[in-house]
Amino acid sequence: MPSLFFCILLLGLGVTESQASGLAPPQQVRLDADKETQTLSVTWEDGHASTFDVEILRTELMEMVLNETVGVTENQSTGKHQWNWTSPVPLECTSLSVKVRSRDGQDVSEWSSQQILPGLDLPDNTDSQMYPEGKTVPVGSNMTFCCIVEEGQQFGSLWYKDTLMKENMLSRRTYATTMTNQGSSNPSGTNVVCSNEKKMIIAGAVVFVGYPPLPSDLVCETHDLISVDCQWSKGRDTYLFGMTRQTYYTLNGRNCPKARNSNMRCGLEQWDGNWTLVARNLLGEFRLTDAAELGHRVRPVAPVNLTTPEVYSWNASVGWLWKDKGFERLSLICQVQRTSHLNSSTQTYTGYGLNTVVLKDLQPDEKYSVKVRCGSQKNFWKWGEWSFPLSFQTKMDRPVAPDIWLWMDSDNLGRVLWKPLTKSESHGQISGYEVILWSPEENSQQTLTLPQSVYSLPINVTDRGSKVTVTVTAQNPAGASLPANVVIPRYLLDAEDTAISKVAFNGSGFPLSWVAHANASCGYVVDWYNTSCTQDCNVEWTRVAADNTNTMVQSGNFFAGVRYTFSVYACSSESTVLLERWHGYMQELVPSRTVPRLSPKQEGADVQLTWDQIPLEHQGGFILGYTVYLTNASHLTLLANITDPQLTNHTVKNLVLGSYKFTVKAYTAAGEDGGATVSISLEPYTYWLIMEILVALGTMTCLLIVITIACYRKRKWVKKAFYPEIPEPKLPGDWGITQGTLDVKPSPHSMVHIVEDSVWDSSKEALVTVPEEDEEGTGDEAADTDEPASLRYYNQVVEEGSSSQRRPHASDSSASSTGSMDSGHTDVTYTGIQTSACSLAPFQPQPDASQCVGGGGYRPQMQSASCPEEPQTGPEEHLQPPVGSFGGYQPQCSWKPDSPEADGDGLDQACLGSPTSVTSSQFLLPYDTSEEGKEHPSSASTWFHNLLTGKP
Amino acid sequence: MSGHVKNMCPQLTISQAARTLLSLLLVAAIDSVSAGVVCRKQPCGSSLQRSLKLTKLIHKESVDLLKTYKLSQGDMSELFCQMSINNVPDPNISGLDPSERMLSIYSHCKAFLPHLKRVTEQQTDLQPPSSSLLSKLSTAHNRTNGLANQINCIYQTLFPNLPIPPEPVDGPTSVPPSQNVFQQKVYGCVVLKRFKEFLSRVTRELRTLKSQVCTRRTPFADTNALF
Repeated sequence: MPSLFFCILLLGLGVTESQASGLAPPQQVRLDADKETQTLSVTWEDGHASTFDVEILRTELMEMVLNETVGVTENQSTGKHQWNWTSPVPLECTSLSVKVRSRDGQDVSEWSSQQILPGLDLPDNTDSQMYPEGKTVPVGSNMTFCCIVEEGQQFGSLWYKDTLMKENMLSRRTYATTMTNQGSSNPSGTNVVCSNEKKMIIAGAVVFVGYPPLPSDLVCETHDLISVDCQWSKGRDTYLFGMTRQTYYTLNGRNCPKARNSNMRCGLEQWDGNWTLVARNLLGEFRLTDAAELGHRVRPVAPVNLTTPEVYSWNASVGWLWKDKGFERLSLICQVQRTSHLNSSTQTYTGYGLNTVVLKDLQPDEKYSVKVRCGSQKNFWKWGEWSFPLSFQTKMDRPVAPDIWLWMDSDNLGRVLWKPLTKSESHGQISGYEVILWSPEENSQQTLTLPQSVYSLPINVTDRGSKVTVTVTAQNPAGASLPANVVIPRYLLDAEDTAISKVAFNGSGFPLSWVAHANASCGYVVDWYNTSCTQDCNVEWTRVAADNTNTMVQSGNFFAGVRYTFSVYACSSESTVLLERWHGYMQELVPSRTVPRLSPKQEGADVQLTWDQIPLEHQGGFILGYTVYLTNASHLTLLANITDPQLTNHTVKNLVLGSYKFTVKAYTAAGEDGGATVSISLEPYTYWLIMEILVALGTMTCLLIVITIACYRKRKWVKKAFYPEIPEPKLPGDWGITQGTLDVKPSPHSMVHIVEDSVWDSSKEALVTVPEEDEEGTGDEAADTDEPASLRYYNQVVEEGSSSQRRPHASDSSASSTGSMDSGHTDVTYTGIQTSACSLAPFQPQPDASQCVGGGGYRPQMQSASCPEEPQTGPEEHLQPPVGSFGGYQPQCSWKPDSPEADGDGLDQACLGSPTSVTSSQFLLPYDTSEEGKEHPSSASTWFHNLLTGKP
Repeated sequence: MSGHVKNMCPQLTISQAARTLLSLLLVAAIDSVSAGVVCRKQPCGSSLQRSLKLTKLIHKESVDLLKTYKLSQGDMSELFCQMSINNVPDPNISGLDPSERMLSIYSHCKAFLPHLKRVTEQQTDLQPPSSSLLSKLSTAHNRTNGLANQINCIYQTLFPNLPIPPEPVDGPTSVPPSQNVFQQKVYGCVVLKRFKEFLSRVTRELRTLKSQVCTRRTPFADTNALF
């Protein structure tokens, strides 16, 4: 009920308002859309007011786009009102509804009927679309794009370039986005695309964002005194390409079709004096103006048909023509550029209608290329274009006098040298040289003609007097040069007369200065050459004016590490005098070779090292000295630094015996060379050797004297020790005592066999007489015996080991051989009787120890009581004392005749005895029982022990 | 009657024969002019090999061309080729026997030519004159025209009794009417993509045809002679 009341009230108010205002609503409202400019034109009639309310809605969603009161006057001719509105959104995006009402102050009419501008999102237009498409807008502008989605698809996203944009829904199918402050686009434009929910592009548009043209620097000139040629700068890039978007130019209203890219020029056939250039593209236009008088903008075209009417050796004339006759009546300034192989220069000439110039200071026999350009002398504007070049060659002329010099190898021999003439000096092809040697004292003259390729001539001035002048002239087809003279200087070696200084290279050359010489009428000559060169040296020289006493010697032929000799001569017509001489290196290097012939020499405890100087060509610099090192493995120990380069020896003192390695290095300002190394082994001195021998001899003598004295003073003991008195055996009967060897010659019918039986049985131990026929059964040793063997008893000490070693191997052939040899004389030798018994034992059963132990009485041939237990033991072990002990003096094993055990046939008889005599050199001492089980010392050691202990 | 005519008008008969011969020569001349191709007789293998080499070259260049094209179209251009465009030749080669398939290749080459030309024209307005894309497009157009001529010659040599129809066997694909700039970009991308795919297929097809046709040259010739 209240709402009904409210509606009635509003209706009543509306009726009251319209009725109250009396304004008629606009009739025949019509909409016209310019979609390119997005402009909507609304026209209506019958609106008698001048103010109207306009309301624009998006039809589909009824969203208000515009509600504005505008003042629109009636067009008197048509009687209609027209109001234009530019939509920020393309008009194709969606339908718009427009209605208008009149307003007069607060009075308003009723709204007109609603007019609809249909969009392209209507259902009957099913395709996807995007607007605006292909628009060209200025940089920095804002722009709204809309995407109409295809029927049945879902909107996805909007992209400007590669930027995802925020969209705004305008209708069911239309979405819009606005890009602000757009940047310039690339030539093909900026892409704006719309995608569906599957991220597939469904529609897109391209916008071209650029600048309006902004050319500058319009300049118009004439090249032919008639037409106009205007040029300008393109200015800022518009970023717009293509037939519709590019910039078009007009000059004074005429199109300039050739103004493209960077070629910004346009021409007119007549000189107007004022020019206006209009540059135009879709975003705007720009105007440039220029104004000038014809005479102030003359830039002549290039002269044509260049010729050389006259060509001489030193000058030539050049002429040309003008295509346009106007220049023949114009004061011109022209530049002529001439280029030769030497240089290029430009000369300027002026003249009225200038078309000929004379080129001066040309070189004879030289090819030139000339080109010309001109400008207006009056109100000069710009130089015109260069003409095409013209080439010509000047004529030849006589050459200049050659630069000659003399270099003397010796007093009478030398070479005349002259420098080849350069292209600018020869003035033509040199055909040869003429050399004249003239001696005024001898009044003789010798003339030689040399080909053009020869630049030196060996001379011999012997017998030509003290003053010889050499004259050289060069010749070419145009004639001979002026003569070049020089007086032969006196030959001077380095060491003679003139002191030699050192000169250092300062980076650009060798600075030389000298004292002025009174007689230097034709100046000074400085020559230089490789110091180490001895023959046909490359000599260079330079001339210095007479008023100058210094120069900088420069040459491209200087090399590092090479010593050069510089000499300055005073030159006059009478003589050539050497003033000063220098040595110098362009760059000092370390010597390229080590010192040669390095050799050591031992002088007692000293070593003298000597070497030779490095050859000059290998020095690399000024030798400042030598360093001597002691080389120890890779380590160098500095021994001496010899700062005198002339000193080539050094003595290293106070060395002990041993091997030494020395390294000697020469050094220059650049450093040391690699070093020469030499080795020496110090040997002991001769008198030391003699002294050592003498000391040894003296020592031996003293020792012998001491021993002699000791033996003398102890002679009784010695006698007792070495020659004890042997008590005579008390034998029944008369036994003659014979001294010496007892030779027992057995009966021819019997032999004495040494019966060996390790089983000691005193009852059997005996010398057995064996019948001769039994001899064969004993072995080979008896077969060689032709005569009956005699038994010999030597008073001889035989080394125990020898027998004891042999015996256990009696079965060996060697043993047999020995046995045979022994049996030659059937010698029976008492050798180590006590021990041999044991050593013979292995081939016998072990005897009972009790059987070996004899009594304590004198038993000169007592068999050893002990027998070795192990037959395999060595000889030393066989020397072990017997198990039993002898309590008393035991000179020898007992001998018993007719021993039943002595019937063995081997040589391994345990004990030998003689029933007649025993002479022994062996100590016959009892074994010390306390030494049982130990190695028994030899009899000699026992003796020595006793000697030392003083025991008898 | 005919004898009468023959007797009565011997000169006329001669003139008719000459006229017929002249007509045949004219037809042959017109046909060769219409074809626009002067074919040299070459062995089957070498001519196909030559075409195969040219196809490989164009295919290689088409790959580079498509890449250059995408690079010069601005952002998101990678996705342009995925859009659907009508009236762009299908890259597939149709036909059952070698003659039909060779004819399909020829007609496809001819069909692509106007599209390549259109793309060139459109891009001329979108690219600076110094752009390499324009020169590549022009080169592709010329080479494709040359390939079509070569295929034409091979076809005439191999199948002398089978005339080449004036219209493409797969139906005409007219160039599209006016397009906006975005549509031009998409159109060019699709054309070049299909062009590349077509050349890939042609390469395979020519390789197959070479092995089939040139090894069985005589049977095919005999077969064609029956038509």
